[in-house]
Amino acid sequence: MNQPLQIVILGGGTAGWMAATALVTMLPRQRYSVTLVESEEIGIVGVGEATLPQMKNFNDLLGIDEAEMMRSTQATFKLGIDFVDWGYLGSSYVHPFGVHGPPASGLAFHQRWQRALSAGRDWTIEDFSFAIAAARANRFDFPAAGKSTINSTYAYAYHFDASLYATYLRRIAEGRGATRVEGKVHDVEQDAKGDIQTLLLESGERVEGDFFIDCSGFRSLLLGGKLDVEWEDWSHWLPCDRALPVPTERTGDLTPYTRVTAMKAGWRWRIPLQHRTGNGYVFSSRFIDEDKAREELLASLDEPVLAEPRLLKFQAGRRTKSWERNCVALGLSSGFLEPLESTSIYLMQIAIMHLVPLFPGGRPDARLVAEFNRRMDLEYDRIRDFLILHYHLNSREDGELWRYCRSMQVPDSLTRKIEIFRHSGYIEDYRDGLFNAPSWLSVFLGQGLRPEHYHPLADAIPLERLLAELDELRTDIAFRIDEMPKHATFLKRYADAEAANHSALHKAEARL
Amino acid sequence: MTRRVEAVAVVGRDAPLWLAAAAIQRSLGPAGVRVQAVELPSWLASADCYSTLPSLASMHRLLGVDEAKMLRAASGVPVAAQRFSNWAKGAPPYLIAYDDQAGEAGDLPFVQYWLKGHREGLRAGIEDFSLGCVCARAGRVPLGPADTEAKISASYGYNLDARDYAEALKQLVTNRGIEILSGRIADVKLDGERVIGIELEGGERVEADLFVDASGAERVLMMRLPGAEFHSWRDRFSCDRVLTASATQFKSLPAFTQISAFRGGWIGIHPLQDRTAITAVYSSDGISDQTMIAQLSVLARLPVSGEAVVSELKPGLLDRAWIGNCVAIGEAAVAMEPLAAIPLHLAQGCISHLVTLFPATAEEMPEAMPYNDVIRAFASNIADFTQAHYLLNGRFDEPFWEQSREAPATGTLRGKIDLFSARGEVSLRDNETFSEQNWTLLFLGGGIEPDGFDPRIDLLADQPLIELVQQRLRAVAELAKNMPSVDQFVGALGQLQAVGVS
Repeated sequence: MNQPLQIVILGGGTAGWMAATALVTMLPRQRYSVTLVESEEIGIVGVGEATLPQMKNFNDLLGIDEAEMMRSTQATFKLGIDFVDWGYLGSSYVHPFGVHGPPASGLAFHQRWQRALSAGRDWTIEDFSFAIAAARANRFDFPAAGKSTINSTYAYAYHFDASLYATYLRRIAEGRGATRVEGKVHDVEQDAKGDIQTLLLESGERVEGDFFIDCSGFRSLLLGGKLDVEWEDWSHWLPCDRALPVPTERTGDLTPYTRVTAMKAGWRWRIPLQHRTGNGYVFSSRFIDEDKAREELLASLDEPVLAEPRLLKFQAGRRTKSWERNCVALGLSSGFLEPLESTSIYLMQIAIMHLVPLFPGGRPDARLVAEFNRRMDLEYDRIRDFLILHYHLNSREDGELWRYCRSMQVPDSLTRKIEIFRHSGYIEDYRDGLFNAPSWLSVFLGQGLRPEHYHPLADAIPLERLLAELDELRTDIAFRIDEMPKHATFLKRYADAEAANHSALHKAEARL
Repeated sequence: MTRRVEAVAVVGRDAPLWLAAAAIQRSLGPAGVRVQAVELPSWLASADCYSTLPSLASMHRLLGVDEAKMLRAASGVPVAAQRFSNWAKGAPPYLIAYDDQAGEAGDLPFVQYWLKGHREGLRAGIEDFSLGCVCARAGRVPLGPADTEAKISASYGYNLDARDYAEALKQLVTNRGIEILSGRIADVKLDGERVIGIELEGGERVEADLFVDASGAERVLMMRLPGAEFHSWRDRFSCDRVLTASATQFKSLPAFTQISAFRGGWIGIHPLQDRTAITAVYSSDGISDQTMIAQLSVLARLPVSGEAVVSELKPGLLDRAWIGNCVAIGEAAVAMEPLAAIPLHLAQGCISHLVTLFPATAEEMPEAMPYNDVIRAFASNIADFTQAHYLLNGRFDEPFWEQSREAPATGTLRGKIDLFSARGEVSLRDNETFSEQNWTLLFLGGGIEPDGFDPRIDLLADQPLIELVQQRLRAVAELAKNMPSVDQFVGALGQLQAVGVS
């Protein structure tokens, strides 16, 4: 019997514990062992508190009880992101986790909607999205299981406290056989070939491994630090390089969406949790200084501040390879894309999901490494283009950042997407990677780009019928939304963290 | 003031011409678009056969074509798979079944369970777990849906007499009220990259907002446009000749098309109702047309009779398949040997992308850009699939096959082969025609023995794995047993609903 392959994860933030939990669950224990090295002295960069619907799939796959997870992490539900002041001052659009109306006769829904507009209707595209209507009404319910009705056409994600999520996963991972080693890495040893071999801790302890997962955050101790994988800088497209996170009190009305508001030199997030609200200002140091940013941030908050904002520095870009030799980097150690579309945790998750089927049984196989890196390239590039779109397609006149982004040279692939959408509303779909056509649609339209023409196929539908169908859909959505519970009410019933704490307290008292 | 496209002229020949005219009229006629067909002299020989993928059935549904009628008219025969023989010395033939779904097995693709079973001594081959392959071997037609719960299913393509099929489509186009002009092109009037109008030798003039070039390798409109560039794939594909001929029909119809390799290329044997169509695809560098014709009966192991016609094959694609207001479809856009039964599928794919990207205005057509991208990707995936057969060949000491093994391949194809060799996994790209299961059957049939499998397989203990695999084996055999034989299927074409075709 061979010794199991020893996997060593460096870093115990969200990325580290997600990896540990997934690997102990999905890899057979007789062939793999999982050790995670972390130090209590090193803080977690807990910015990524909003997630995407893929998070639910990930948790389901790991057999995680949703309500318990939500109670443990102060989580709320999320149906999309509200973009305020992005295209122009005073604007607001929701990028929903769902579609805008159903397709018909091989035609995307919005083509029918465009024809309705040209026939004089003043309906907004948002009227046709169940997820948006529910979000705007602060309501939430699980999507209907049937495929045919409009209230099955959305998905949901969570807002949660990422450090509590890491803590929650740690308990599960350790319960399933992951070993945690406390300590700070002092040095890293490589073997003669250059593979990583041993982590030397400050305590003098040596942690040896066959395969290493670098979750060391921005420092990228193994992939960047030891294996010298190059950094590709994307800051000319995504100039924001600072963030000032600040918690405030819980919002009165618990919104089932993230709100991101464009500011003079960046944007501000607002993420409602059960016990508090996460906020922060992501800005570009080229266009505003830290003090001024702090001032702008504090003046813009809705609720009283719970702690001082603390500065984070970063740069948009990524390591040119996520897997090199016997080391894969997950999360911040492999790249950074600002959390505008809540992609940070997604990128960790998708890297894990791409890694598992390709996990080496012994020494890494170049063929598997190449495939993993190909898949991750695609993930990063697609998210990058989508983020750039938000900045590039704006008509704000109140800040240098916005003028710069409007006129900057963007990747060709993006220019072409914008051009064809402007002409006829066509959106190309793709198999792999984030953001399908409904996402692109909401951002194109939301940022103020209205197609000049609609698809001729929409003319093949008799106008009366088309208008009647759309009208019926709007009415149906509005009617169903009225029947839904308020998000706060639903959450209290399903996954109340406070009640959970109380009952834990009662149990503890009872034991005493 | 912008104007919609009001008139479309489809210029071309044979099935692609009629399919394009009918599909555009069907989709956009109700939106006020008028379609004209300009029929150039046919290039079809009497022995020609269209070997098609199951996707043609969905095109037929869109056009309102009745399957049974069409099969009767074109002497058509359903085909569950292609059978590749002699692609490696001493290796048994392998099958690639159409639209075959291996079904769900736990969380992972079924092939992963099979790979582990195989390593532990399982004797049944991957084909025994494929409904399409099992049907093909037993001479049966897989009618869907087979097992909806386990998602095991398969479908069939057709072999069609090419002239009869094209004639039936022309009839359909005529019945739909589409105006047809026939003749040769005398002149094409251009304005920069736009076609203004064409003049036929008979003096008729055709003007339109949008021109579709369905003229096959002639590219009668495209090649007159400035900026049209044909990118040859001859470095990847050595074959430059297609020979077609006929033999008598099989007494009992097989459910597969046979593709047999020989020292200078391959020979396709396509069963039809009233004859058997033979195709030989080869390189003129290694064998002359006269020799090929002389040896055909021996190589096909069938007595060949009647006319044998050789045509030239120039594999490659137009760098831009849509220029100005002129759109190439099918072979005019992408020319490839018919190894994977794709000629009509290429036409069909182009037509459906054209409908999706139908120009929103008559003056400006930025839709050309995404069309050209999508056609390039679509064609590239099919070319990769076709070339993989050649790259994996195991015929040594024969110059043609040596060269085929060493021909340059795309990074994408190399990557797919590498991944499969390492893990038995297939990574599909955007705009794929062939499914994971198609690639799997091709790679395993072509002799790749993966070095490992998905590590998650080991989460399942040996006993449940054996049970899962055996249960699947029985399920597939049971499903296949209840499918009609090809002879029954063909015999029932006269009684329309009898076999449940729609």
